[in-house]
Amino acid sequence: MIEMIRVEGVTKLFRREPDLAERLAIRAGLAKPPATVHALDGVDLTVKRGEVVGLVGESGCGKSTLGRVVAGMLPPTAGRVLNQGRDIATLRGAEARGARLATQIIFQDPMSSLNPRKRVAEIIGEAPRVHGLVPAAEVPARVAGLMARVGLDPSFAGRYPHQFSGGQRQRIGIARALAVNPEFLVCDESIAALDVSIQAQVINLFMELRRELGLTLLFISHDLSVVRHISDRVVIMYLGRVVEEAPADAVFAAPNHPYTQALLEEIPRLDRRRRAFSTVKGEIPSPVNPPPGCHFHPRCPFAMEVCTRVRPALAEIVPAHRSACHLNDPEARMSPRLGSAQQEQLQRQGTP
Amino acid sequence: MSGDTLLTVRGLKTHFPTPAGTIKAVDGVDLMLKRGQILGLVGESGSGKSITGFSLLGLVDPPGRIVEGTLDFKGEDLRAASPDRLRALRGDRIAMIFQDPMMTLNPVLRIGTQMVETVLAHRKVSRAEARARSVEVLAKVGIPHPEERIDAYPHEFSGGMRQRVAIAIALLHEPDLIIADEPTTALDVTIQSQILAQVQKLAAEMGMGLIWISHDLGVVAALADEIAVMYAGRIVERGTVDEVLDSPRHPYTQGLIASTPMANDRGRPLRQIPGSAPPPLGRPEGCPFRPRCPRATETCLVDPPETLVAENRGWRCFHPLEGTP
Repeated sequence: MIEMIRVEGVTKLFRREPDLAERLAIRAGLAKPPATVHALDGVDLTVKRGEVVGLVGESGCGKSTLGRVVAGMLPPTAGRVLNQGRDIATLRGAEARGARLATQIIFQDPMSSLNPRKRVAEIIGEAPRVHGLVPAAEVPARVAGLMARVGLDPSFAGRYPHQFSGGQRQRIGIARALAVNPEFLVCDESIAALDVSIQAQVINLFMELRRELGLTLLFISHDLSVVRHISDRVVIMYLGRVVEEAPADAVFAAPNHPYTQALLEEIPRLDRRRRAFSTVKGEIPSPVNPPPGCHFHPRCPFAMEVCTRVRPALAEIVPAHRSACHLNDPEARMSPRLGSAQQEQLQRQGTP
Repeated sequence: MSGDTLLTVRGLKTHFPTPAGTIKAVDGVDLMLKRGQILGLVGESGSGKSITGFSLLGLVDPPGRIVEGTLDFKGEDLRAASPDRLRALRGDRIAMIFQDPMMTLNPVLRIGTQMVETVLAHRKVSRAEARARSVEVLAKVGIPHPEERIDAYPHEFSGGMRQRVAIAIALLHEPDLIIADEPTTALDVTIQSQILAQVQKLAAEMGMGLIWISHDLGVVAALADEIAVMYAGRIVERGTVDEVLDSPRHPYTQGLIASTPMANDRGRPLRQIPGSAPPPLGRPEGCPFRPRCPRATETCLVDPPETLVAENRGWRCFHPLEGTP
């Protein structure tokens, strides 16, 4: 399969620039320099054409930031993003515009991503008109076609977003993304805000669109059961790094990384009744000051001394299945295990 | 009625008159809860599950009011209780936990101050005793180093820890009943799991009744003893977790269960419930699920009564599914 997107060693830091007074105060030792958020820390990712890749992680893991970097909305601090083999940062003019149009993003909350003062016809029709994809006279027909495609009644084109239900609004957002004939969609928690009975409808819509339009999807979600259903391949992130990557079946049948194992253990499922929760200890550390070595070591039940110092590489354990854990390295396994008191101390340091 | 019954709700209706018409937020809710039991109240947004919780505590804001029904809490009629009596009960015998702890915690007061205040509102004890009690409860909900953390401000805690503080405040007086309104919805999976574990343990230890309001059937399956499913202001089905999840009788419950990804083959279209829930002012006559229901007939133009087969097992449907024995 041809590569659609390749992310190479992307790091993204967020730092607030201090103003003049603050800079002086910092220089005089009266204030601390502003904190840096390490949103992404050396991330590699490939998405092949026609593939659905699920990106999973808890808050602060960098999954949304990665989605935005891939979509070209945020420039990476280091590393590069290749779109069909070409670095998107080096594209100019018509080529850059083409690459941007070919990648569209669908957000979590359709109410804050749709302009409340515009009618649906304008929301969906604006981009194809502005970019000259269809002649002005044909825009209404195009809008009607798109609305029908996502399961909306085209006679509602004159309505405003607030006149629709949550599920319908999300369909408007999808139609708007499809309006510029994208090849690649980034879905950032696109179903998280929807009611249970509506979620299934929208998931089905994504699967239909993928099949019929041959779309490539990066499906970002915190919900492992949804990701498992829709994805070909799953990527698990923790605190700015990819910890495991494998075909969807393999992740669920044989999770390798202790974090993935814990996540799978914790998904609420209908067939797990009155269960005793066996839980991962501790809190997710702050991305402002991530722990050294493996980011998961303060919470990991198998943490060893080496984990507190050395970042484990994302290495292939069986073909197509990669995991970043020292337990897979026979040499690193010789390292002494961390005691529980020691680990509690580490957890305290990392607590925000 | 057995002696350990904590709460009995019959025919509860809470309505909000508006210029456009009366919003029947809660429109016929029957519930029963025993001591030491966890009831999962499940529904989608707008189904009336939160207003049911508020009604039990006498916290419905005007112009909304309870127009019908009985609320029996340990033999006391809560609808007849005076505002003073309700204030004495709230926070003492009945406590509530909300989705967003930032809304319930005062951001400018140390959590210790807020907890001591809660203790002193209901008990004649010294400040030192109240503080000792607060530290004890913070330890119980799993806050490390409670004797130091009690002097922190709410913003110094993470989201999960803040929710633990809110739970600690609810537990201060060892209430008989706790109503928890989506308390883990905003939290990450691993943190949610930690809190569910703690709550499950505490409910068993302290023998209190717990009503856990949630939209997530998975959470309720793991936590609760009984489930009540709400749709458009009514409880459409209730029973034990196994009864409701393994042999649902109401088509809505069945549809919800069938639409979860786990109940479907990977990559196949999910079985879905068509349409969406009716708006509160545009509910259809008769069974509100009728327009989305594959089994609906003309009979459903009449409001279906509750078919009760056991004290706590029933459904509101003229054409229930057979159910697997």
